[in-house]
Amino acid sequence: MADPSRGQALETTRTESYYVARRRAYKAFLYILMFAGCAVMLLPFFWMLTTSFKTELEAMRMPPQWIPRTWLWENYPVALARAPFGRYFFNSFFVSILSTIGEVFTTILAAYAFAKMRFFGKNFLFALLLGTMMIPGEMLLIPNYVTLVRLNWFDHYEGLIIPWLASVFGIFLLRQFFRSLPDELWDSARIDGCRRFRYLWTIIVPLSKPAILTVALLKFLGSWNAYQWVLLMTNAQSMRTVPVGLTMFSSDIGTEYQLLMAASVVAIVPILILFFFTQKQFIQGVARTGIK
Amino acid sequence: MKRPLGAGKKAGAADGKTIDPFRLPRDRAFWRETLAAYWYLIPAFLVLGTFVFYPFFSAFKLSLFKWSSLNPPGTFIGFENYRYIFHDKYFWRAMGHTFYYVGITVPVTLALSILVATLLNQGLRFLSFARTSFFLSYISPVVAMAMVWRWMYNVDYGLINYFLSFFHIDAIAWLNDPRYSLPAVILLSVWHYVGYQAIILLAGMQSIEQQYYDAAKVDGASGFQTWWKVTVPLLSPQIFFVFIISLIGSFKVFTEINVLLSGPGPLRSAETLVYYIIRSSGRIDHATNHIGRAAAASVVLFGIIFVFTIIQLTLTQKRVHYD
Repeated sequence: MADPSRGQALETTRTESYYVARRRAYKAFLYILMFAGCAVMLLPFFWMLTTSFKTELEAMRMPPQWIPRTWLWENYPVALARAPFGRYFFNSFFVSILSTIGEVFTTILAAYAFAKMRFFGKNFLFALLLGTMMIPGEMLLIPNYVTLVRLNWFDHYEGLIIPWLASVFGIFLLRQFFRSLPDELWDSARIDGCRRFRYLWTIIVPLSKPAILTVALLKFLGSWNAYQWVLLMTNAQSMRTVPVGLTMFSSDIGTEYQLLMAASVVAIVPILILFFFTQKQFIQGVARTGIK
Repeated sequence: MKRPLGAGKKAGAADGKTIDPFRLPRDRAFWRETLAAYWYLIPAFLVLGTFVFYPFFSAFKLSLFKWSSLNPPGTFIGFENYRYIFHDKYFWRAMGHTFYYVGITVPVTLALSILVATLLNQGLRFLSFARTSFFLSYISPVVAMAMVWRWMYNVDYGLINYFLSFFHIDAIAWLNDPRYSLPAVILLSVWHYVGYQAIILLAGMQSIEQQYYDAAKVDGASGFQTWWKVTVPLLSPQIFFVFIISLIGSFKVFTEINVLLSGPGPLRSAETLVYYIIRSSGRIDHATNHIGRAAAASVVLFGIIFVFTIIQLTLTQKRVHYD
């Protein structure tokens, strides 16, 4: 220790290992934080899933029974038999699929016109679309309710599908994408004698698959999860979709939470399947809504 | 029938006039294309016209009529509906609840989502697992999620009270106590939307160019300094966007409340503006229908959202864009 140079060398090695240790500790801390966050986010899903396999007694145990002792698969058929879930699912699929297809169709047409065509009143119509972004959908609920009653679409599939067949957001998103495609495509297609409509569906649409898929996914998601509109615009049990059916089911079954959880799991599954098959597209689509 | 390419554009230039490139020549081809374009626009505009443009004006009109049943046209009563709701204590309470909900949900969710996005941007492993975990709550139906939370909020057997018991906090009747019904909804909303906002912010962070971070490193900035002086300012457009959509979205909260509390909460303690609108229409909560009052409250909702949108538009043009 008396030798100053030796002491200095010792100190530098200590500092280096100190920094390495500190960086490791920091990394470990970040990982702990991340997994704690994930745990908080996933806990309700975990709780829903395990509760759905418990007996009523087990579900109400305190301190909680984290993993059911025996996995009670019967909860699922029992829950689904208590309410017309078959009908709810049919309605959800029917409404979601038709409104997704319809919206994609109207959106492609309108977005193409705004992206690539010259026409009278283009700026005015586009400003009109922009203006609708300021209108909260909830403001339109009451007048739309009156309209649906007048059209005799209340309690009909028309009322659940047709009002949702156009989306301003979708038009913006696709227009943006279409604009990035080169005009030369159209020029050469025109020389080959291709009509505009056919050109749109055979050249533009296949080139824009990712953007169109994003629009379709977001639409399907919104349609499947829709609650407020269905609650307002239908009365008959036979017209209800899964989310509204689920709330009606919950008021019927009282305290049998394991059945409610089983039904909730079933309501989420279609979305989860869709999500895991199109995950990248899905997340990018949502992320893109923020980049503008 | 086929014109040479670009004939329309050159038509004016041929006789030596300078043409304004922003003004389209209105020749026959232009009008033919206009006609075609309108065919493309009709489907979307028919739907938007019937279910967005028309009801927008219709809301103002309906708010001036007294409609106790759905028999049109009702009687014109001027601003009576507005007078009624502005003297209705439940309307003001609904406004209060809405601002309370927005005032807590928006900043808390935003702060958490910035932290989450920062954390996920640290180059850690298992990123896709973490991203999926945070995203799952957003894509799942709110109704199903509210069901789970209802179960977790259960006084006797709920997980939340179980966790609170570690800290010697007595069981809270989350859903049946007027003091806690709105906080319960807020917690659910924060959990439901934080992942969505974090994903948007994360995408924004990843699009920040590396050169800024290199420059910060050269200048010897610490990790926190880099985050505060580089990441956050360059992320401001996304932060602002997320802030505004969450502000506007939160003002319209309804589903979370109606499902979690199966109604407006004990003593209408969680009734918000949109809940008030729908309740006035007589469609929920066994209320009598007053379409006119509901429409008047809808117009008020529009007014509030409109102000926010104007603020957004002016601010986006002024600040936020640093790059």
